Amino acid sequence: MSANVDADPRDFVEGLPNIGIMLQDITEVDSSLFVTAFWSMLETIEMAFIGTVVGVAIALPLSLLAARNLNHKFVYVPVRALLAAIRTFPSILWAILFVIIVGLGPFAGVLAITMYTVGFIAKLQYEAIEAIDADPMDAVGAIGVSKLQLIRFVVLPESASHLLSQILYIFDYNIRQTSILGLVGAGGIGFYIINYIKFFEYGKAAVFMLVVLVTVLIIDWVSVRIRDKYIIKSQRGMQVKS
Amino acid sequence: MEKQKGSASISTLSIVQMNDVSASYDSKDYVLKNIRLSIPRGANYAIVGQSGSGKSTLLKLINGMMHPSNGKVLVDYKVPNTSDRKFKPFMHKIGYIPQNLGLIKNSTVLENILIGALPRVNGFNSFFKNFPDSEIKNAKKILKQVGLQGKAERKVYMLSGGEKRRVAIARALVQKPEIILADEIVSELDHMTAREIMDVLAEAQSTMNLTAIMVHHDLQLALEYADRVAVIKEGEKILEIGVEADRIVDFQTGNYTQKEILEMFNTESKE
Ligand SMILES: Nc1ncnc2c1ncn2[C@@H]1O[C@H](COP(=O)(O)OP(=O)(O)OP(=O)(O)O)[C@@H](O)[C@H]1O
Ligand SMILES: [Mg+2]
Repeated sequence: MSANVDADPRDFVEGLPNIGIMLQDITEVDSSLFVTAFWSMLETIEMAFIGTVVGVAIALPLSLLAARNLNHKFVYVPVRALLAAIRTFPSILWAILFVIIVGLGPFAGVLAITMYTVGFIAKLQYEAIEAIDADPMDAVGAIGVSKLQLIRFVVLPESASHLLSQILYIFDYNIRQTSILGLVGAGGIGFYIINYIKFFEYGKAAVFMLVVLVTVLIIDWVSVRIRDKYIIKSQRGMQVKS
Repeated sequence: MEKQKGSASISTLSIVQMNDVSASYDSKDYVLKNIRLSIPRGANYAIVGQSGSGKSTLLKLINGMMHPSNGKVLVDYKVPNTSDRKFKPFMHKIGYIPQNLGLIKNSTVLENILIGALPRVNGFNSFFKNFPDSEIKNAKKILKQVGLQGKAERKVYMLSGGEKRRVAIARALVQKPEIILADEIVSELDHMTAREIMDVLAEAQSTMNLTAIMVHHDLQLALEYADRVAVIKEGEKILEIGVEADRIVDFQTGNYTQKEILEMFNTESKE
């Protein structure tokens, strides 16, 4: 197997000093490059943000249609099939597709992130909806309320903390994904990275990668905070038996 | 004497009627067998039995979540069925409190209670939780009635077991129901709290003029509050008793003594 993929541990060990050279290169780049890196990171975050928001907005109604405990088979089977099809593509393939359709640039990247988010969030959310406690559904359903009222007063509140947690996770993940979409010309910080690498300017590429690293760490830290503050508390509440 | 109810008048005025009803979940074993019941309108009726005897199933037959395998169930002269559009208007009139209460734990007390008013609020307004002032006023009145004043904005998961039961009762009362179905609503509570909550229900039952059908596992408590108690054992109704003139009477069709019935009729016609 290893012969086929040509993976030789020795290459890795011998190549390690290159990192050192790269880090050394960073100290030699012009400090104004950090500003450029910062702005392109901001664009990346913006792309990820828009893609996440739009993706979640589309995923939510789809998840309601895909939940088996809310719909007839004729509704949830095709919706699930559609979602499964969307999920077969990783975001980079969506990006290539959209670059072909709408051309190079961040718009293709946003569309790619949106598609990925739809497939991912809709699935997690319909699974969460199906896992909702049957008791409140039965009790409120037995009153004879409309389906929309059932969704508004039982399904949404009972699955909200789960959804918030998933949104934080996917946003975090989407920032990382968006960072590489530039590789296929779909905008974001990855565009700079791939170009510097092409021209052997590893020091400059390293600056941009460092900015990605720091940003992801910060976002990670912030989302842990939000999770602790809003989600853990309400989930503890959910665990309290009736 | 107001407590005396001749069995002849019961069936004509009954709000729930079951004729030889059997029910099963998996079409193999019947969990209820040949149940005959006639619950008078306005009664305070109790169903008692051991765990697994089929009490919860019986309530689900009444609110239409389940359907009998044999026999016929009639509720207000209609066949209960939660998926039947024609039964929907009457579903609004049945306040069903399931064994686990079925509250929305992450919503507030008031939000939970207002769910009972949803059939009277149009879809658009309810989507934005936009309830008419009269509904909010009514909900707050009932909140007070069940002893939850000052807790309107509290999230349900923060409440004690007794308080949660009060929320479930309030949600049912906000429906302006004709029937309340309560499944072991006080079973896990201490003696004092159980009676406090039963008092709230009894009070509501008489002032709001509704039929209460409650499942208990404590016969003592059931006899204390109910006009009539059906005792179920392994899916069969084995006794139907009530306290009349300080003595326990068996009303079970074919299971009481002729003498006792005559006595009942006699005392009624004398007074
Ligand atoms: N959803 C279900 N599927 C299959 N069997 C069920 C289901 N619900 C109840 N049963 C069975 O039906 C029988 C009667 O159950 P039911 O819940 O009506 O009893 P119960 O008298 O309410 O008991 P408890 O006092 O423990 O609540 C039990 O043997 C139970 O195992
Ligand atoms: Mg039960």
